[in-house]
Amino acid sequence: MWIYEKKLQYPAKVGKADLKMAKYLITQYGGPDGELSAALRYLNQRYSMPTNVTKAICNDIGTEEMAHLEIIATLVYKLTKDATAEEMKKADLGGHYADHDNALFYVDATGNPWTATYIQAKGDPVADLHEDMAAEEKARATYQWLIDLTDDPDLKDTLNFLRVREIVHFQRFGEALNLVQEHQNSKHHF
Amino acid sequence: MNEMNRMMLRLAQAYVPFQVYVNRWDPMKSLMMGTIFPELYRPYYESMRRG
Amino acid sequence: MQRDQLEMLKQIQALQFTAVDFNLYLDTHPSDQRALADYANTVREMEQLKTVYTRNYGPLLPTDNLCEPCWRWIEEPWPWEIEY
Repeated sequence: MWIYEKKLQYPAKVGKADLKMAKYLITQYGGPDGELSAALRYLNQRYSMPTNVTKAICNDIGTEEMAHLEIIATLVYKLTKDATAEEMKKADLGGHYADHDNALFYVDATGNPWTATYIQAKGDPVADLHEDMAAEEKARATYQWLIDLTDDPDLKDTLNFLRVREIVHFQRFGEALNLVQEHQNSKHHF
Repeated sequence: MNEMNRMMLRLAQAYVPFQVYVNRWDPMKSLMMGTIFPELYRPYYESMRRG
Repeated sequence: MQRDQLEMLKQIQALQFTAVDFNLYLDTHPSDQRALADYANTVREMEQLKTVYTRNYGPLLPTDNLCEPCWRWIEEPWPWEIEY
């Protein structure tokens, strides 16, 4: 089960309001390679993982991704709070304002809603772990592009934190893959 | 790397080397860097893009 | 948020983060004795600091809201509102 602890994992700061940046950042909230996709993908895969290590890794990384989802939400919240309708329109967020005012929503950078088609659970642990490793690399790359898109040093710090987490997650999924392949190879005789 | 030597490497399988814990950064530095393990840290500069 | 509270919160974030990174390492290295020991030390230090924080500034968990005259759990600022 989950219990909520009332703090962010990282002290996420932004230097100034930046609606354009919020529009790009939202892809890591509700987009295909974002934190919601990561959290739901790993937490859902837990149930069909065959070993204690793979269950633990999917559980624990999935849980950390929920904390990262909260960090992205915090960044978007800080970048957009007090924005007027006029300012939203100028940043090409008029459509979002019409549907949501400055509420957050699970969409990608062009407003497409989150969908379960962004994730998969084949039930085959090798396939699923490869999907997880690919997801981590895609998220890492996305954070690199987002770092390039901003000149706000505070925002860069938080994005870099999230980028490095993806590298660490890749390492753990990779180790879990080694172990599950060893487990499978020891059971079958080819 | 002991795990890698122990494992028989097969065709058509991917392997990631096991990390071995040696050192770690102190908590505040770890938080700022994004990991407690220096060997897992990889910096990023925009100039690193495009090959 | 006051400077003292903010500083202590950041220390807790640092210790909790250290525990999480150890947690993931231990998931794939469950017999690493050194990691297990260092993890335990980190968690002990973190719990001590959380006790001090809770006593001075209010609950981080709903179950920390004990012996208070009121339900402080709902107090602002919530995490996304904090100016670091």
